[in-house]
Amino acid sequence: MRNHRMLMLLLVVGLMVTQTGCWSSKEIEDLSMYIGLALDDGKPTPTEQKLDKQGQGYPKRNLITATVQIVPVKTGSNNQHEKGAGKGDGFLNESETGDSLLQVMRQYSLRRERAVIGHHLKVIIISTELIQKQSIDKLMDFVLRDNDIRPSCITLLSRGMARDTLVAGHSGEIPAFKLQAMPRGHFRTGKIMRGVNLTRLDSLIGSKQSFILQEVATSGGEAEFSGAGIIKGDTGKYIGSLDQTDVQSIAWIRGDIQGGVIKSYDWHDEPMTYEVEGMKSKIIPRLEGDQLSFQVKIESEGRMIENWDVEEDPSKAEFLKRAEKVFEDTLLQMLEHLLVKLQSKHKVDVSGFGKQLSVDHPQYWKKVKDRWDEVFSQTPVTFDVKFTITDYGSSKK
Amino acid sequence: MGCLAAGGLSGPDKKTFIAKQQVQVICREQRQPGCFCSLFYCCTMKQHPAMLIEWRGSGEIRENNSRRGMVHVWWSNIVSYIPDWPVFVQAGATLLIPVVLYFTHRWFRSVVTNGGGSSEKLTAATEESDSLLTGDYDADLDSIKQAIGSNDDLHFREYRVAELGIRAALIYIDGMQEDQLIDTQVMQVLMGKGDFVPEVELESSLPPADRLAAYFRQRILPVVEMEEVQGTQCLHEMVLTGYTALLVEGMPSAILVGKPRGKTRSITEPTSEALLRGPRLGFTEALSENTSMLRRQGRTELMEIKKYTVGNTLKRDLAVVYMKSIVNPDLLQEVEKRVAKIDLDFIAESGYVEQLIEDDILSPFQQAQNTERPDRVINALMAGRVALLLDGTPFALIVPVTFSMLLQSPEDYYERWMAGSLLRLLRFFAAFMSLMIPSLYISFISFHPGLIPTELAITIIETRERVPFPSLIEILVLEVSIEILREAGVRLPKPIGSAMGIVGGLIIGEAAVQAGIVSPFLVIVVSVTAIASFSIPMYSAGITLRMLRFVGMFFAAALGILGTILFFLLICSHLTKLKSFGVPYITPVSPIRLHDWKDLFVRAPLTLMKLRPEMMKTERKRRKA
Repeated sequence: MRNHRMLMLLLVVGLMVTQTGCWSSKEIEDLSMYIGLALDDGKPTPTEQKLDKQGQGYPKRNLITATVQIVPVKTGSNNQHEKGAGKGDGFLNESETGDSLLQVMRQYSLRRERAVIGHHLKVIIISTELIQKQSIDKLMDFVLRDNDIRPSCITLLSRGMARDTLVAGHSGEIPAFKLQAMPRGHFRTGKIMRGVNLTRLDSLIGSKQSFILQEVATSGGEAEFSGAGIIKGDTGKYIGSLDQTDVQSIAWIRGDIQGGVIKSYDWHDEPMTYEVEGMKSKIIPRLEGDQLSFQVKIESEGRMIENWDVEEDPSKAEFLKRAEKVFEDTLLQMLEHLLVKLQSKHKVDVSGFGKQLSVDHPQYWKKVKDRWDEVFSQTPVTFDVKFTITDYGSSKK
Repeated sequence: MGCLAAGGLSGPDKKTFIAKQQVQVICREQRQPGCFCSLFYCCTMKQHPAMLIEWRGSGEIRENNSRRGMVHVWWSNIVSYIPDWPVFVQAGATLLIPVVLYFTHRWFRSVVTNGGGSSEKLTAATEESDSLLTGDYDADLDSIKQAIGSNDDLHFREYRVAELGIRAALIYIDGMQEDQLIDTQVMQVLMGKGDFVPEVELESSLPPADRLAAYFRQRILPVVEMEEVQGTQCLHEMVLTGYTALLVEGMPSAILVGKPRGKTRSITEPTSEALLRGPRLGFTEALSENTSMLRRQGRTELMEIKKYTVGNTLKRDLAVVYMKSIVNPDLLQEVEKRVAKIDLDFIAESGYVEQLIEDDILSPFQQAQNTERPDRVINALMAGRVALLLDGTPFALIVPVTFSMLLQSPEDYYERWMAGSLLRLLRFFAAFMSLMIPSLYISFISFHPGLIPTELAITIIETRERVPFPSLIEILVLEVSIEILREAGVRLPKPIGSAMGIVGGLIIGEAAVQAGIVSPFLVIVVSVTAIASFSIPMYSAGITLRMLRFVGMFFAAALGILGTILFFLLICSHLTKLKSFGVPYITPVSPIRLHDWKDLFVRAPLTLMKLRPEMMKTERKRRKA
């Protein structure tokens, strides 16, 4: 009899276990992922306006328009007629306007049968138009808080509409993946910044100092990295752009050039090109009394990789010495140009001077930290560039 | 907390705040549960905000209030941390689970180990009093005929010993006697006159009955294997197992002259443990051949073989083999004790022995290693383990066993140490995979899509769109069919088996994907799992992991990656507790014995392995001179 009771008890326990079922299980095929997020100024798209006319909508202020790139598109039925942007390319772009990013995200559920999850978000693009109005820490608040979104997600700015960058290009690949992979070209040219992921963005926002984010320009569905946008530290808003050369110059100052070229014109006005093999740079803050000044020392080794001047013989040492001087001058010009832009036009420091100062003179840094951009604009900076051409490749011509 | 924050508000710099803001601030604080103090502030604020500011302005009242409020603050803080009654009920219910599990387990264990009844061995009842042969030829013959004469294959060959003039009988089972030996060495010698030259002094006077047997043995019969039996029951058994018995008139015992001839198969390569490098020698079903195989491994005086009889109704020989001055005497004693305790009418295979002497009958893991390879046995003996060989099966048992032994192969030692270590690591990895991959698949697919690389996740979603089942059902469908296939493959003859493997593996997998029952990704998962499980060198360990895999799948289906981890921890804790003949199951790892790590995941060069395994606590520790 006792055994029977125990058996019953076992049965009850067993049944209870089965009743729990699959706790909080979400089958992967019932989900879809958003891999790209584009934030634009809040203007409802035509589709949205039509939908809003038919329905009631919900109370909101149209502050941002968020566009998500959703993969994969359900391919169950035969989709012969393609409609809407991006459909048929393996992804789907959906826009929604509102004033809370999470609420906007949840609004997508009204339209899609599969819930979207944020684990695989690869890239966030913010239009410069939006970030002129809203500060970056407001816009990024949800993204930084959310547990699903991985810190490896990178952040970009866009010159035009951010959602245009998520439209398919000619290559047929998924734009978000392409944008995520593009910063890897950093080792080929200094014009591409290292990708700013969310961890780094968090620290940049938190430091209250100005910084730059890579900018994307689009034309006909083809996206290109085209310089960088400056985010002012104290306001968190966009104040202007730097072009490709300036981005490269900043990389030279920071010592963050892994590969790249310097092209200049020689004394016969023929182009010649220097390929960077390795470089070192050092920012030296000098504090005399209350007078602050910076010296930037840049040393580089490289190769004479292209020379259109047929009259010169690259195997001769004096030619290489002269060429070195020409390249050094070119870089100096680039750097001076950048400095003028930073100090006079935008009045910000985005090239790491402040950071070096805080390391070398922490006391002084504490004093000027809150108004560093103004202080920097008044600080003289000198450059000291030294190039060494180690070889001229396999051809002597 | 709310009170303190609210109190802090009354600083002189905060006084400039407009009342409305303060109300908002404090109302937010009010959400802290059970904080009466802030509630009080809040009520006042809501009703008379202006008054409160005034009131705060006067320092004396404020100080008074805060002193009186200290106790309130202290008390309400504590109260705020005491949860509501549902939490206590939940905690109680949660506590109940391990308690119930513990008692259920204990009850279940007691049922299983006691076998549902008392296990006292009825030694007295089963062993009948063995009556002795009388020496009266006719009476003895009659009693034998009466006892076992109903067997039609039993033959009596009666004749006269020519020279002595006494009657004798050969008793044998048809087909089991060695004709050649009996004819030439027994019959001819006893009946023939020509070459039988009796000594003169003995011819006249026959030796007395008690010395007759010795006389036959020493003087007459030119046979090596000869045994004298006095008990009738013993004689019956021996005759029925195939011995040829010689009964002589006036002799109060029988002489067993011929051993049973029964057919044995030839020695072949062990099929369950095939190796590329190493001896191609496997045990056979005959115990004497097996022990002789062990003896032939090398010349030593250390190896001892002790024989026990197991089985109450059908008796069989069980040999306990060990190395005399290497094995730990306590271990040997324990093995002998457990072997003596075996109580069953028939021991069919060494698996019976294994199950009857193991420590924990409820463990999914085997606690004795079975092997067909003499080299494996001899290596184990040299490490201080004990081997059990049962007559009638080619599988020897090695005790005690540790977990790492199940994933080691003799080849690890025969190949050079680097290659051996690599293979061994590979096997550990494969065992882990075959156990965990399906669980990980379920937890990733059903619970944690964020843990899959994005591109792969897209592919999986796309391929699983048409699959109507949740991942558990999907994987069960395929895993169960693979297991059935494997089981069917064992039964079928070899040529058909391989054909069916192709049909099952390729066609069913492909068709299931086409039909949308499973996703192509799952086919990869299941096949990798199956292949990984084939690489486990011990068949029985493979079965254990196959079984546990299903348990793991259910854990994963219920709780995701948490369940998978829970399952793994459960196995780990069970393994840590498990012992085989007093030796912890995963011993080089826990309890940690760093010396033995030389032969765990990697196989150190032989020159470094100077000592026998520490865990065996052997008598002679060093392997080198």
